[in-house]
Amino acid sequence: MNADIVETVNVAREIAWLPWAVQYFFLIGLSYGAFLVSLPGLVFRRAGWEGISRLALLAALVCGLTAPVALLADLHQPARFWHFYAYFTPTSWMSWGAFFIPVYLTGLILYAWLAYRPLLARHADEGGRLAGLARRIAYGGHESRNALVAAALLAFVGAALVALYTGVEVMLVRARPLWHTPLLPVQFFVTALAGGLGLTLLFNRGLPGGGEPGATRRMATALAATQFVALVVGGLWLALGLSGVSPTHAQALAEVAPSANWQVSAVWAVAATVVTLLLAWKRPASGLLIGLLALHSAWMMRWTIFIGGQEVPKTGAGYYSYQLPLGPEGLMGIVGTVGLWIFLFVVLTTLLPLDRLGKAGA
Amino acid sequence: MMYPKPPALSESRRAFLRGIPVLTAAAAIAPAPALAADGKHHWAMLVDTRKCIGCQACTVSCIQENAVPEGSFRTVVSTYSVKLTDADQPAGTYMLPRLCNHCDAPPCVPVCPVGATFKREDGIVVVDGDRCVGCAYCVQACPYDARFINHETNKADKCTFCAHRVDAGLLPACVETCVGGARIFGDLNDPDGELRRRLDAAKAEVKVLKPEQGTEPRVFYIGLDERFQGKVEGQGTLWQPRKRHG
Ligand code: SF4
Ligand code: SF4
Repeated sequence: MNADIVETVNVAREIAWLPWAVQYFFLIGLSYGAFLVSLPGLVFRRAGWEGISRLALLAALVCGLTAPVALLADLHQPARFWHFYAYFTPTSWMSWGAFFIPVYLTGLILYAWLAYRPLLARHADEGGRLAGLARRIAYGGHESRNALVAAALLAFVGAALVALYTGVEVMLVRARPLWHTPLLPVQFFVTALAGGLGLTLLFNRGLPGGGEPGATRRMATALAATQFVALVVGGLWLALGLSGVSPTHAQALAEVAPSANWQVSAVWAVAATVVTLLLAWKRPASGLLIGLLALHSAWMMRWTIFIGGQEVPKTGAGYYSYQLPLGPEGLMGIVGTVGLWIFLFVVLTTLLPLDRLGKAGA
Repeated sequence: MMYPKPPALSESRRAFLRGIPVLTAAAAIAPAPALAADGKHHWAMLVDTRKCIGCQACTVSCIQENAVPEGSFRTVVSTYSVKLTDADQPAGTYMLPRLCNHCDAPPCVPVCPVGATFKREDGIVVVDGDRCVGCAYCVQACPYDARFINHETNKADKCTFCAHRVDAGLLPACVETCVGGARIFGDLNDPDGELRRRLDAAKAEVKVLKPEQGTEPRVFYIGLDERFQGKVEGQGTLWQPRKRHG
């Protein structure tokens, strides 16, 4: 900071991407991350992954269905969402995103239906709760392997496109040096995968008996790997900034380094990642804790990038200060998405109880 | 629509007064004088920071003219207190009028997912309020913090060079009210216009904000201290408008 210059009059710009946006990027990330965790057991039939993969698919579904609501709410004109489809603009990644999301969700819903049909039929036969509804959705309850693989492929293409567009859309914003880095999409992806694993770990933990130890260990290993990659990418970012090799990274670092808030965030993020890595590696049985830590890191990273990033003025001196409003544009937005998430979770686990999903080889 | 107008109608007042005899003569011969080869306008502004007295008359007139909601601004004069080492007084004041730069390579345009923000043929960058979904992607993409979401319309908002006035042959409100005569508005394609003449005369001194962003701003500055050309390094704002939200 230059003590010789004091800004006496200027405009403070409000945050324009609200906490809704953080929720969207968080939930859609968890969704595609968990979707990837669903593949080894359900598509590749890897031994020991069936239970985990079915739980992961539930996580992908609940998050994937909640995410678009948060995205819609972040528009200041939500009723005009159809403009995205009426006025396709190929120069805009956001415009492409409007088409990628339905591809992903269509694939995901089909894939989940095909994967869960036999279980739904069994749930109905055994007289589980909402058996009538379960039977109707099961629609015969047949297992159709080819269709399942095809749907998973569609969902995979959609997930890849969603992961790509959510990262690139933000990365391209040259006006914000903090966002304008090719490492950002990688960070988004790695933390999303970690979050997807984390949520699956929590579901696994919710099983009677706390889940199969083998399954917990497998996910802990995968989680440790994501944390390692996250640290490497973070280190690379810092090295690019400190060495001055990349002017954008150096500028981003210069913009945030003087801020006490940012210093705390950085130390916090590194500490959380290291702790998750060590725990997942040395104590893979601590499924609940590492799961929560991974989820927390995925959310914090997005909050810091989006909200913190918008607190850095593009022309003015110092920082804009953001206080989370209590209304729909702030806290209620976060609470609302959590509420919707819980509602969907309750409905889905009534039809498909966790223990039914998590049973190995079921 | 946009026919070439006699330059006098869209030039600053002083140019208008000075140019009257010439223009009347020209008008007598050719009713619509040729402005440039293609006959199109390319509106731009020159801000002479040396003449700005920091009175914020432009800020106020813009709010009045464009019904800008409380707490939001399409233009403002950023004001800085700068420590002096080569003078008796301890500090001086630096004034920097800011507004949308109506960039020729505007990063706010390609990101808009519905094509609501665009550059008109005459160079003015505008938002189609009927189409804007309020996604604020353009707000993020503008390197100058020139855009904001208008909380009354819930759409992207910014300076339009007072396009409604310019189309009617008037000057932007801020130019009209500028007390120091620091803002000169005009047509880059008009070789005889005051804007072009002043730009040509000051050539070496003419600068734009954040040139490294490659946005090709069409708001030019004279007397732009390089410490203020990009993101200003200094102590944060002492005065900020009252928050409407939160
Ligand atoms: S100053 Fe900002 S809003 Fe104006 S044209 Fe340039 S990028 Fe767009
Ligand atoms: S806020 Fe409006 S003008 Fe800006 S990018 Fe979104 S739709 Fe386009």
